Parts: sequence; C-alpha cells; structure tokens
Amino acid sequence: MGGDAFTFELFGLTFNWANILSGTLVFVLTFFILFALSRKLTLKPTGGQNVIEWIIDFTNGVVRSQMPADQVGNYSFFIFVLFVFLFIANQLGLILQFGWNGHELIKSPTADPVVTLTFSLCVITLTHFAGISQKGLKGYFKEYLSPSALMLPINLVEEFSNFLTLGLRIFGNIFAGEMLLKLLAEMAFSHGIPTMIVSLPLEMIWQAFSVFIGSIQAYVFVTLTTVYISRKVTEE
Amino acid sequence: MLVIAESNSLYLGDMLFYLVSFIIMALLVWHFVWKPVTQMMEKRAKTVASDLDNAKQAREEATALAAKRQEELKGSQAEAAKIVDQAKKSAQTQGDQIVATAQADAQNLKAQAEKDAKQAREDALRGAKDEVANLSIEIASKLIQKELNADDQKALIDSYIEGLVKHES
Repeated sequence: MGGDAFTFELFGLTFNWANILSGTLVFVLTFFILFALSRKLTLKPTGGQNVIEWIIDFTNGVVRSQMPADQVGNYSFFIFVLFVFLFIANQLGLILQFGWNGHELIKSPTADPVVTLTFSLCVITLTHFAGISQKGLKGYFKEYLSPSALMLPINLVEEFSNFLTLGLRIFGNIFAGEMLLKLLAEMAFSHGIPTMIVSLPLEMIWQAFSVFIGSIQAYVFVTLTTVYISRKVTEE
Repeated sequence: MLVIAESNSLYLGDMLFYLVSFIIMALLVWHFVWKPVTQMMEKRAKTVASDLDNAKQAREEATALAAKRQEELKGSQAEAAKIVDQAKKSAQTQGDQIVATAQADAQNLKAQAEKDAKQAREDALRGAKDEVANLSIEIASKLIQKELNADDQKALIDSYIEGLVKHES
C-alpha cells in the first residue's frame, strides 16, 4: 500500500478516494462487460452469449449444490452478480494499479478490508433476513438453541466469526497478492537492470498465481454465501 | 486492519457507497443482462423439449403411416387378384352363354327349316292332288272329245302316275 490513505469528508462520512475510484471502475466494468456479452441474444448461442451463459450456469450450479430446489431461484441472480463483481474486483489490481502524488487511487477494491467486510456484512444480514422470512421469528431464534440451549454462546460467536472470516479471507488473499506484486516491482527498480531481469519472471509468475487466487477467492466467497443462506433457510 | 488503523476512522462513506453502487449495478445487470439471458435460456430449454416431443410424435406417425401403407398394399394385391378372378369368371360365363345362345339359335333354325320343308311337302302333295283331280277332269273331257283305245288310256294313266310319283319324290 503506497502512501497514506487519501480521504475526504462528505455529509460527516469519511470516504477513501482509492475505494471510491476503483470501486466505481469495477462497477462500470462489471456492467459493461456483462452488457457487451449479452448483446445479440439468439436461440443458438454464439460468442459472448456462450460466455455469459457459461457463467450463469456456473453460479447456478454453485447455488443448486447447496440449496433446496425451491430456494434456488431466489438467490441465483444475487450469487451471479456477486461472483462476477468479486472476480473482476480481484483481478483489477493485477492489471491496473494507479497512484498519484503519493496517494493510491486505483487498486483491487477487495484488497481493502472495509470493502470486503461491507460485502460480508451484507451477506450475513441477508442470511438472517432469509432465515426469518423462511422460518418465522420463532423458528429463527430456535436455531440458536439447537441442538441444546448450551450451544447459544457458540452459535452467537459463530454468526460473528462467519461475518469476519468471510470478509477477511478474501481481503487477506487479495491484499497479500497485491503487496507481493508491489514489493517485486520495487525490487525491480531498486538496482537497475540486474534486479529487473530477476524480478520480471517472478512478477509474471506471481501475477498468474494471483489470477488463480482471485478466481478461487471469488468462488469461495459465493459458495460460503450460499452455504450460510441455505443453513438459515433449511430445516435441520 | 491496516487501513482502518492508519486513518483512525472507519470509512462509513465507502461502505455506503459500495452498498448503493452494488444495488444500482445489480439492478442494471438484472434488467439488461440477467433477464434477457435467462429468458433466452429458458426458451431454448422449452424449444429443445418441444422439438424432442415433436420428433417423437413425427416418428410415431411415420411408423403408423408405413404400417398402414403396407396393409393397404396387401389389400390392393388381394383386390387385384380378386378382380382378375372375377374377370375370368365373367368371361367364362359370357362365353358359355354365347355358345348356348348359338346352339339354341342353330336348333331353332334347324327346327324351322324342318318345319318349312314339311310344309312345302304337304303343300306340294296337296297341289299334286288338286292337279291329279284337274288332270282327271281334263283326261275325262279329252276322253269324251276323242276316243281313246284301252292301250293309249293305260299308257296315259301310267305316264301320269309316273309323273305324280316323280313329283312326289
């Protein structure tokens, strides 16, 4: 992370320029990539339509493998958007890192714990809402006392730790990946040509590995999301 | 948490920004991408299913039609045989009838001819009798006119009788 956090205040809230800019970039990219892929839809898919249908089938498969069949339709869209967004967010920092005047402006949004914890908080809140709407308040609270009332503290801690681990797992992986990329880049320019020759292949290898890590983390995030939701909505 | 520690304040603004942006993007994606694509996928699934059904139905129809044709072919062969048979039979009966008619006609003709011949003979005989009577009268008148000797008379009568016999046969 190069430089201090570059923040500004608006309506009494603190904003971080890096998050706002890179987040906007990812949102716009996500929409336009999906939009471009879904043009000229035909019954016999060609080109981009194949890609987007493959992604939809993939995320539908994730949902279907965890949830009862009658619940799949409710969450498949959310999981699809979340997956595509996280995937692009994870890859953005590998392709484009931009700093100006000692401040970092563009990086992976998911390399920031605030962003990832925002998403994990949303997901955990969603699971609670889904649980209440599916089972009613009574059934929802009963879950905390199962299998016995003694499990109540553990169940409560589990809810909180789910929130933390879900957000921090993806943050840690992406942040570490970008940190190492940055260190390799610094090493490349530290002693001229010899270090460049050494660090260029290392950087390339690490970037390839980070692409893999980013894909895996996006997959893990949406899989855990469906697991948490399905745990709340299914009878045990 | 490095960033939070650095800035000494929680970026609540960022959280709100991400939440709102994500919802907006999700709505846009829902409207422009998800709905048309899933609709198309559903439509394809339906088309494939109905195509399969149609193919099955068409195959069944084709099989039924082939069986029907086969049966019809068999039927028409039998019919053809029957028609030929019938034609043969009718030709036979017609031939028989013609022969029978011809025989009957011939019989009739023969009978008529016989009858005619008999009639002619009778007529001739009757005619001869009349002639004999006339001749007798003529002879008698001639006898009266001219005297005839017994021999001449005899020869005359003989000749007439001879002529009569000749006439008769």
